Amino acid sequence: MRAVRPRRLSSRIVALFLGLLLVVQLAGFAIVRWSIDDNARLMLSQDLAVGERIWARLLAQRAQKLTLGASVLATDYGFRDAAGSGDVSTLGSALDNHGARIGATITAMLAPDLTPRALGDTTAPAALVALLPHLRQLTQKGSVLALIGGQPYQVVVVPMKAPVLVGYVVMGFALDHALVEDMRAVSGLHAAVLARDSSGAERLVLSTLPAALSRDMLATARSDAMDLAGRPHVLRNIAHGARGEMHTVLLRSVDDAVAPYAQLQTTLAVLTLAGLLMAGAASVVTARRVTTPLQSLVRASERFARGDYTQQLQHTEREDEIGELARSFDRMRTSIAAHEAEIRQLAYWDPLTQLPNRAQFRDAVRLAIEDASRQPGGGRPVAVVMLDLDRFKHVNDVLGYAFGDRLLKGVAERLAGHAKQSLRQGDVVARLSGDEFALLLPGSDAQDALLVAERVAEIFQHPLILDDHTVDLAAGFGVACWPTHAGDADTLISRAEVAMYTAKRKTSAALIYDPAIDAGSALTLSLLSELRRALENEELRLFLQPKIALSGPRSGDMVGAEALVRWQHPTRGMVPPMQFIPFAEQTGFVRQLTLWMLEATAQQWPMLRSLGITRVSVNLSTRDLLDQELPAKLDRILQRHGMPACALCLEITESAIMDEPQRAEATLNTLSSSGFKLSIDDFGTGYSSLAYLKRLPVDELKIDKSFVMAMESDEDDAKIVRSTIDLAHNLGLTVVAEGVETAAVLARLAQLDCDEAQGYHMARPMPAAEMPAFAQRWRKRDTLALTAALH
Amino acid sequence: MPCLRRTPARALAFFAVGLPALQASAATVEIRSLGSDGKALPETVVFLESAAAKAAARPLPGVEIEQAERRFTQRVTVVTSGSEVRFPNRDKVRHHVYSFSPAKNFELKLYTGTPANPVLFDKPGIAVLGCNIHDNMVAWVVVVETPHFAVTGAQGGVKIDNVPPGTYKLRSWHPGLAPGAPAAEETLVVGAGGAGAAVKLPLVAAAL
Repeated sequence: MRAVRPRRLSSRIVALFLGLLLVVQLAGFAIVRWSIDDNARLMLSQDLAVGERIWARLLAQRAQKLTLGASVLATDYGFRDAAGSGDVSTLGSALDNHGARIGATITAMLAPDLTPRALGDTTAPAALVALLPHLRQLTQKGSVLALIGGQPYQVVVVPMKAPVLVGYVVMGFALDHALVEDMRAVSGLHAAVLARDSSGAERLVLSTLPAALSRDMLATARSDAMDLAGRPHVLRNIAHGARGEMHTVLLRSVDDAVAPYAQLQTTLAVLTLAGLLMAGAASVVTARRVTTPLQSLVRASERFARGDYTQQLQHTEREDEIGELARSFDRMRTSIAAHEAEIRQLAYWDPLTQLPNRAQFRDAVRLAIEDASRQPGGGRPVAVVMLDLDRFKHVNDVLGYAFGDRLLKGVAERLAGHAKQSLRQGDVVARLSGDEFALLLPGSDAQDALLVAERVAEIFQHPLILDDHTVDLAAGFGVACWPTHAGDADTLISRAEVAMYTAKRKTSAALIYDPAIDAGSALTLSLLSELRRALENEELRLFLQPKIALSGPRSGDMVGAEALVRWQHPTRGMVPPMQFIPFAEQTGFVRQLTLWMLEATAQQWPMLRSLGITRVSVNLSTRDLLDQELPAKLDRILQRHGMPACALCLEITESAIMDEPQRAEATLNTLSSSGFKLSIDDFGTGYSSLAYLKRLPVDELKIDKSFVMAMESDEDDAKIVRSTIDLAHNLGLTVVAEGVETAAVLARLAQLDCDEAQGYHMARPMPAAEMPAFAQRWRKRDTLALTAALH
Repeated sequence: MPCLRRTPARALAFFAVGLPALQASAATVEIRSLGSDGKALPETVVFLESAAAKAAARPLPGVEIEQAERRFTQRVTVVTSGSEVRFPNRDKVRHHVYSFSPAKNFELKLYTGTPANPVLFDKPGIAVLGCNIHDNMVAWVVVVETPHFAVTGAQGGVKIDNVPPGTYKLRSWHPGLAPGAPAAEETLVVGAGGAGAAVKLPLVAAAL
């Protein structure tokens, strides 16, 4: 396809050249042809005019010759003597004799008054009779052509003087074939003499034409053109005699006249053809001179498209527009190559650490896998080691991002230095993102890779000293291998990542990927997008789990509820929170979830309040705490639904607070000052210090259900519960126990002075709509079961 | 014209003049010659014929027609029948004088000087003389049978003296008449006091 356009361009150039030339040549040819035709006709007519003059001259010369002969007789002394003597018989002999000398077949002598005086011996009297009509003209002109006895004659007359005019000598000569042949020889024209009978019929008397053509001629005579044997001739009629009874036809073949021009035309045609060929060749060369560089430019641009900028362009040395174009293309080539190198650098290299980035690493892994899979026998394994610095976020937060960057550079230098010393050819060290680094170890299996990971971990044992800060380095390592753990590069990397996160979670230094740790990963992979959709399609449901008061004036009443989310998945059914909440927390989507919860809870508030509920709890995640805008958002939601801030209790896990203690504290202070109740969720599982807790504006502690559930069987847990309740009360906090599954536990909690209880024993989480029915049920049962339990 | 006359002419004139004197009664006839276009015609031969005149006619002696400068010095010569004429050649070239006329057919083959024998003109008529060497030489000899003849002068007129009164045939001839044409004739009565006549001749240009 790409060759078509240039070829079309060149053929257009060639066609234009040849077309123009052809037009000019044809015009020239037509003009020449036209002028040849014109010229030939003119020449033919000139030939005929000249022929007519030649014919007249031939006749005149002949007449002159005959006149001369007759004169000789007329002046002959003896003849004059005979004439004077009036001796008719002598005159007859003399006329005959002299006539014979010059070839005259008719001889006669006339008196001065033109009356015949004598006839040649062999001259028929009828001939003289035939002559009589011509005599007057004859004496005036000296010679005439006349038809005598059906034969053409040239008749001359000369006066005879002795010494005065005594008579005339008349001599007639038959026109013979020699005359017309002479005419043909001199003029190149065919000549024919025709005679007309008294009946008016034409008859050919003399002709240079072959006999066959004579018939044609008779048929068409007296016009000025005719066809002889199918070939055009032009002709001229010359009348003779007093009554035109005789005429000469001069003929010229048009073909003969045109023949020399036909040769000329052939030559011209050959010249035209040669011209066309030469012009064609010249235009092809010219077109090539244009299109060949164009094609090479096209090929060059195709090379550019393939990303090949190595080859310098041709034709840059040319001084014309093509050269300019080629030079400009070449400038473009070098400029694009430079740009691309720069882009490639940006695309494949991490600008901070000068290590390959994720994209390059990914390519390298892919290439390594391709190389390995091409090798016979399944190939050697490819291992990826991924590592993530511990607590890097803290460093960034505490010491600033600039310091964080320097830290990363330092780590990169160590990694690169290590790689230089101990890694092999083909091994790649890359920074994938943030504090995440990776090593590609082609040819290594999982155990080798684990060894490498351990050696790398060793180089992190020495703290990094930046400015005055000494930073302890630690990292989690994950190892995955192709083909054992993954079939392709992306999976391999993500498996290594999963292994690494698992290692970090388990706080072990390095882990090899285990399919077990990733059981839910396939499920979670698609969760994010599904979760978004769930929000949009209103697949989320608000569930509420009642809280029962264990002390105080409303003891035994449902005084509160915890708001929980459930996902009504269209195909999977009800998805348990544990399968998407941690994921939502990881990805940050939890913020939208929290807002949704708050919105849904606020919506239900009027109904809940009517059931005697004074406070609803909603869980906040770490990310919610980091959101500075959260208090404002909360205010807007509550305002919209007319829910007082004190009716909302925000539950925060210990670990959420401890991830970002400072910012969490700030947010909690804002929320508290806005009137919100705050609760520490899952209390007892984290590492929060009491001193720290004391500083927080918390209103409530929620004892982790693991203690509550176990307190029936394990006295230690019961002690923990009791001391936690005591501690909370001492700090002025209320205590909520969750996970209450039996009446015994409930009774015990009441005994321990726990403020509120929540658990399956009383109620499982239920859709908001079921709450009124439950409340009704509870109030009836209330007095029976609970009181029994409590007392 | 008179200057061309030589001795024989003068003798003739003398003779002609002398004759009427003998007869005691002689008149003069005056003739005017005109062409067909009415113009005066010189060189016209006029002569009066009658039986008496024929009887009175005598051959003229010593008549010569000389040739000089390739011409006949006198174009028209009138002689009486029986006169002998000599043809002296004054040129250095030879001449071949001939006549095919019925009045006198003769030839004088190439000669110089004067041929020994004169030519006798013994029949009345007109003889056209030519030269076989020089086609443009032409002369006429008018042979008459009367002593009364004359040739008109430049003005076309002439007088014939010593004509006895009587009835004559006035004949006139000119070289311009058609070749072979005879002299015209008319009757003229000559009284004692003479007579006058005008003749008109139909000339043919081509004949000259």
